[in-house]
Amino acid sequence: MFYRLSGVHHTRYEDTRRLWPIPADRRLVAVLFLLALSAPLWLSELYLQNYLLPWLIWSAATLSLTLLMGVAGQLHFGYAAVMAIGAYSAIHLVRLGVPFELAFIGAGLVAAVIGCLFGAAALRVKGLYLVMATLAMQYLVDWVIVNVPAISGGAHATLQAPEARVLFFSFADGLTRYYFAFFWAVFMTLFLLNTKRTSFGRALVAIRDKDYAASVIGVSPFRYKLLAFFSSSFFGGMSGAVLAFCFYRAVTPEQFGFNVSTQLVAMVLVGGLGSVIGAYLGAAFVLLTPMILSNGIAALSDAGWLSVSANLLAHLPLMIYGALIIGFLLAEPLGLAKIYDNMRNYFLVWPFKHSRR
Amino acid sequence: MKKTFKKGMIGALFATAALAAAPALQAQETVKFGLFHDFTKVYTFVADEFSQGQRDYLTLINEEGGIKGQKFEAIVRDHGNEPQRGLELYNRAREEGAIYFMFLSTPVANAVVPRALQDKVVLGTPLHGRGDAMVGETFPYVFPMMASYWSQAARLLKYVEDTQGGLKGKKIAHVHIDTPFGREPLPILEKLAQQKSFELRAFAYPSPGNEQSAVWSDVRRYRPDYVLIWGAGNSQMVSVREAVRNGIDPSKILSVVWLTETDMKNIGESTAIGVKRVEVVQPGRDHPIIQRILDKVYKAGKGAGPEARVGNTYYNYGVADMVIATEGAKLALEKFGPPLTGEKLKAGMEMIRDLDTKGFMPPVTITPQDHQGGGQARVSQWDGKAWVPVSDWAAAYQDVVWEEARASAAKFSQAK
Repeated sequence: MFYRLSGVHHTRYEDTRRLWPIPADRRLVAVLFLLALSAPLWLSELYLQNYLLPWLIWSAATLSLTLLMGVAGQLHFGYAAVMAIGAYSAIHLVRLGVPFELAFIGAGLVAAVIGCLFGAAALRVKGLYLVMATLAMQYLVDWVIVNVPAISGGAHATLQAPEARVLFFSFADGLTRYYFAFFWAVFMTLFLLNTKRTSFGRALVAIRDKDYAASVIGVSPFRYKLLAFFSSSFFGGMSGAVLAFCFYRAVTPEQFGFNVSTQLVAMVLVGGLGSVIGAYLGAAFVLLTPMILSNGIAALSDAGWLSVSANLLAHLPLMIYGALIIGFLLAEPLGLAKIYDNMRNYFLVWPFKHSRR
Repeated sequence: MKKTFKKGMIGALFATAALAAAPALQAQETVKFGLFHDFTKVYTFVADEFSQGQRDYLTLINEEGGIKGQKFEAIVRDHGNEPQRGLELYNRAREEGAIYFMFLSTPVANAVVPRALQDKVVLGTPLHGRGDAMVGETFPYVFPMMASYWSQAARLLKYVEDTQGGLKGKKIAHVHIDTPFGREPLPILEKLAQQKSFELRAFAYPSPGNEQSAVWSDVRRYRPDYVLIWGAGNSQMVSVREAVRNGIDPSKILSVVWLTETDMKNIGESTAIGVKRVEVVQPGRDHPIIQRILDKVYKAGKGAGPEARVGNTYYNYGVADMVIATEGAKLALEKFGPPLTGEKLKAGMEMIRDLDTKGFMPPVTITPQDHQGGGQARVSQWDGKAWVPVSDWAAAYQDVVWEEARASAAKFSQAK
């Protein structure tokens, strides 16, 4: 009903090949886009800067990891290190006087080159062994940042994001930070949606499904595995730069530690491997649920409905969060995106459930 | 069945979202402090006790009628050492009207620094955060309040100098966790090594430091006269154990503030008799402030945690943090009157002169230039039962410390 198909006639090939062939999907996307575009008007500063903004940035980062893990099937457990390289490169480039727009691309390039270097391991190893190789990248990058004061920013290992402007808008302004992150997330979304239907995307899928078979049909695993790591690290590095300039505004090595890498992998997996909407749902779940839970439980405790020790109070949200992850994955192993997909499929034919989909 | 489950799940989600969205509808009648901690991830070894001390002292102030009729309210939440959660808490508490913030987590505090400077609210960073925040001109709203790690390292070396008749020719090993925190004292140590011509060598063990045996056999071969151990939580216990196992005389071990009676009991009370540490607050219950807390807070059943923790080292650090902050609030209220704002509290903090706590802390003097409070500390020694002071409160080599802090702060203002 909601996703009505009757009366929708595609009379040209372009129509069927659109990103969202069903009008209801298009309307939904348009509404979400307008809502996000007008968010500064209807959302308080607190929720804009602390919920929506990080959510968009992390979703963009998850999308670039989805390209690697979901589309190309290459596991990466050091993605926070890729983002760290991007963040630090962007800050150092801007400090050297490079305009932000160029530094932004430069950050992507540096991250891509270094990411590619470690990604080269993927040419020889797969699965758990690739996880180990990318883990090594995480620890090596961490170590280099901490041990080279020129990179980390001296004894305190805190590097302030310098004053910068993007197309005449200063990052000192909260609105610039929000809109830059927003358009970055929009760009990443369109990029991934379109990549999946290009020859490049299909080649990556072929590699994911069976690299041996892919090479038999003429898809070079060497080329496409490296390309997957290159492009994913490129955008991951840029997302790291967005994170540094739009959200943290000061970078320390702890912000890109191993725990952040596992969070990113969790975002991809909980959201649904290879899904665009899943990246958004996964990022929301991993990033925002702990905040909402601990605020909710603290509010309950403040209202006097819950009297437990401070220690348990702090751990209660973690327990619920863990239970939620298990619950969601038990209910739908393919992730939150699949839950949405199930609902959409249900409404696609509702109320004629018996009909063919 | 499955459908109802799904519906229930969605309902629960909406309920939590609604709860989170409901703003705290309270009138601004109390002075609000945002005292956030990492109760669940990295700083768990200190968070519980520290937070309990802070809350108990605020309860004590309230029980005694507040300051100038103003009561204090602590907003206590867990940020899990994650900057994005800390920032969310910061902004939420700021909307609720909090004017003093403390996070006890270096990554979170560092992310908050630029925002606190912009929003003009006071950020307390005792024993964490940027050491160069002691430069008040550059960081007007950030207050480390207690001796920074640089001052602590300097104080330990000064102790060696005073008791050994000089540092010349001594071999000093700095055994540290391989994180920014562990490396932090190195610039000061290196400078002092040049000035005082002693030999310095740094030994880093990988974080989190549960396994350090490889490093300590190197340390043993180096045959140091003194060993500085620079870690936190479990890694400190491992360091002491490994040092003793490698035949290093416990009385030659000098620790950063992060070593407590609980740690020593876990190591074995008599295993490492003689270990020394630097301290910035007196531990134990033998002090009027702690006695007042026991009397007025715990007897009334208003304690924020188990009574057994009262008087522990980190508990007292929490109390001390609040002693300084409320003193600042008192001075601000006396001069400017209520309601208290971040700007007034900052000015009040900077009016603290020789805060006399009868030996609970060294005398604290905070000025618009010096936000460290004088940088005084003392050395105490484990006697098998308790930490016994072996030196007086004093500040050491502050010229070197300030030179480094100013250089580092200059870089910060450049970036701004």
